[in-house]
Amino acid sequence: MLDVHLDSWLREFGPRGKEKVDADSVGHLLDVLETRYPGLRFKIRDETGQLRRYVRVFVDGEDVSATTGVTTPLAGARTIDILHSIAGG
Amino acid sequence: MVSRGRMRILVGTRKGTYVVEGDAKRKVWRVGPVAHAGNEVYHVVADPRHPGDLYAAVNSAFWGPTVQRSRNWGKSWKEIATPLTPAEKDRKPAFNDSDPTTPVKRAVNNLWRIEPGLPSESNTLYLGADPHLLFRSGDLGSSWEPVDSLNNHPAKKDWAPGAGGACLHTILLDPRDSRRLYVGLSAVGTFRSDDGGQSWKPTNKGVEAPFLPDKYPETGQCVHHVVADAADPDTFYRQDHGGMYVSHDRMEKWTRIGKPLGDDFGFGVASPPSAPGKAYFVRLDGPARVTGEGHFQVHEWNDKTRKWRKLLAAKDFPGHFGVQREGIAADSLDPAGIYVGTTTGQLFVSPDAGKTWRLIPFQFPGIHSVSVAGPT
Repeated sequence: MLDVHLDSWLREFGPRGKEKVDADSVGHLLDVLETRYPGLRFKIRDETGQLRRYVRVFVDGEDVSATTGVTTPLAGARTIDILHSIAGG
Repeated sequence: MVSRGRMRILVGTRKGTYVVEGDAKRKVWRVGPVAHAGNEVYHVVADPRHPGDLYAAVNSAFWGPTVQRSRNWGKSWKEIATPLTPAEKDRKPAFNDSDPTTPVKRAVNNLWRIEPGLPSESNTLYLGADPHLLFRSGDLGSSWEPVDSLNNHPAKKDWAPGAGGACLHTILLDPRDSRRLYVGLSAVGTFRSDDGGQSWKPTNKGVEAPFLPDKYPETGQCVHHVVADAADPDTFYRQDHGGMYVSHDRMEKWTRIGKPLGDDFGFGVASPPSAPGKAYFVRLDGPARVTGEGHFQVHEWNDKTRKWRKLLAAKDFPGHFGVQREGIAADSLDPAGIYVGTTTGQLFVSPDAGKTWRLIPFQFPGIHSVSVAGPT
């Protein structure tokens, strides 16, 4: 079971604290989260299924956003952090 | 002259939505609290068929575009269905290229324009988005249907974006005939449908595209904004990258009117209901994209006399001001109120059709859009 932490900006749409999720990939994890919290749909991923440009997903502290993204396997992983990146002005 | 009722200026900015309230004298205004703080708001509009209902096109750089609705004049807002974000699980791609064997999945980038339907269609909304997308809702935004005839137009593969993106930013409805509608896309031009959106005809004849080898192509113009004349639904005023134009025949052909101004570049245009035959343009210096005369300026076009009138003197508001495509609006009173928001956050108001101007004493973030509701 994975511990999932969401950016404070996303808590308006999703869990307010740590969420327990069982998933075998980042995409699967987001499927589960979006089913539990429909307000998260299309906030983290766009309608093509890809991560939005300024979203960062960390698997056990490693940023996978720009590499394996939603296809990242989660076997053996323990923590997931979903955060917004540095941007804006 | 109407002297009662509450007026509201709806302001979409780089950092949120503001509702500015005043009375019908339009001299004293109160700026309400910001909503959608931190988000780009490209358009805010009232639905005159349902008093109190406002819609906002909110584009978050982080979490994507959403349509937001208020049912209490902006006191609170709620996200409603966003086009191509279906309630069901399937993730229908935003847009497939016309060749179905090589579909290109694209997400909606930004929402640009929300247009309430005609009074006879009390639950209809239209929405324009990037990349070159038009949607229609028959249930006040609970769900949206793509207008495939335009979204999958055979020539779409040749449509280029403007600097602001591949935006569908202008939607105009013929008040006499719900089957007739017009759209404006950058950098594609304008189209008209006479059959309720089943087919579309390019309507850019006479509009120059100075940035293309063929200066007068069928499409490819970078239309910036178009408004209809309140008294004549066949007459339109157009601010294009290639100048200022008028059409008197449902956009069949356009006549350039801006040449006497010299550089007739700009983005916004408004035509007040109380002033048939008049249109208000904010002329900008083309290369700089700001008022090039060293001060804030609005020009009035009189379509009857075919003459221009410059409304402000150099001493009034010195500086260089940018104004975007939704940056100028007019109200329904007589004399007309004219409202102009700038990219540096000034909101100018004229309560008397351009005779006098004042600056709302509030520094907004950069303003994308201005519209007016009231009096109510």
